[in-house]
Amino acid sequence: MGCTVPQSLRDTHPGICDPKNLDAAVEDVFSMMLGVDCKRMADVSDAESEAEQGTVTAVIGLGGVLSGACIFRCSAPAAIKLVGCMTGMNFSQVDRTVEDGIGEICNMVAGAWRNRMPELAAQCGLSVPAVVSGCGYNLHLQAFEFQLQSAYGFEEVRFSVTIACGGLQQSKPRKK
Amino acid sequence: MSEVRVLIVDDSSVMRKIVERSLRQAGLESLVAYEASNGADALEALKNGSVDLILTDINMPSMDGLEFLSRLRSQNLAPGVPVVLITTEGSLDRVKQGIEAGAQHFIHKPFSVEQLRDRVLPLLKTA
Repeated sequence: MGCTVPQSLRDTHPGICDPKNLDAAVEDVFSMMLGVDCKRMADVSDAESEAEQGTVTAVIGLGGVLSGACIFRCSAPAAIKLVGCMTGMNFSQVDRTVEDGIGEICNMVAGAWRNRMPELAAQCGLSVPAVVSGCGYNLHLQAFEFQLQSAYGFEEVRFSVTIACGGLQQSKPRKK
Repeated sequence: MSEVRVLIVDDSSVMRKIVERSLRQAGLESLVAYEASNGADALEALKNGSVDLILTDINMPSMDGLEFLSRLRSQNLAPGVPVVLITTEGSLDRVKQGIEAGAQHFIHKPFSVEQLRDRVLPLLKTA
């Protein structure tokens, strides 16, 4: 019979805490799927600020051996521009297609980030995306053990990506 | 290359459009794209018409890509039609299940046009 032993993510999987893995995941997704050169920005607050036209937030749950979420957040105009770049279509407002596109970007960023750590890739599942858009909403996250947040941008577009993780659960034999 | 009929199966309408556009950029200008948002819809589409190539996501609601592949073969729908998995799936076991169920290749999202060209076009030449 086994028991569940929580371990520190920082000790067991340092790659989770390394911002370079998230940077590389974001850069891969944006170069390959949107054809843009996207770079990390110094100030997260610019990307997080509430735009007059509202914001769009996509959340992908991380399950299995790793418990947490990947959160992608941007202003409504940024969302319209991003999905326009990705699809080649023109949008005048945040509609279902734009929300679908932002969810898919979040999904690919989460997948690319996870797949950069082969020891986690096989044991960490991703949920389908949940996307919220509008003004004046708050996203409540549980107090996770670890949170990595970075802002990125290209041209005038700014967005943030957050990885929030709980403790890694590993089954070990119980001592007699 | 003459007209190529491709069934693209993904729960994201945006991703289906991206795959279609990328295939055209990869050289399939004469592509005729059919879309399905899950495995069950894809099976229905195949009962109503044949295609030359199937690209499918793995993680989808209602019926995922692995179940779709399994039923595709058990119902003998689209015999000999190459199938390529396009997925964020990180588990090689899941991908291996897909290959064993009849997929010829898998491509990770995000993907480049070059990756599509290298892995998909040779399948059409040998199909």
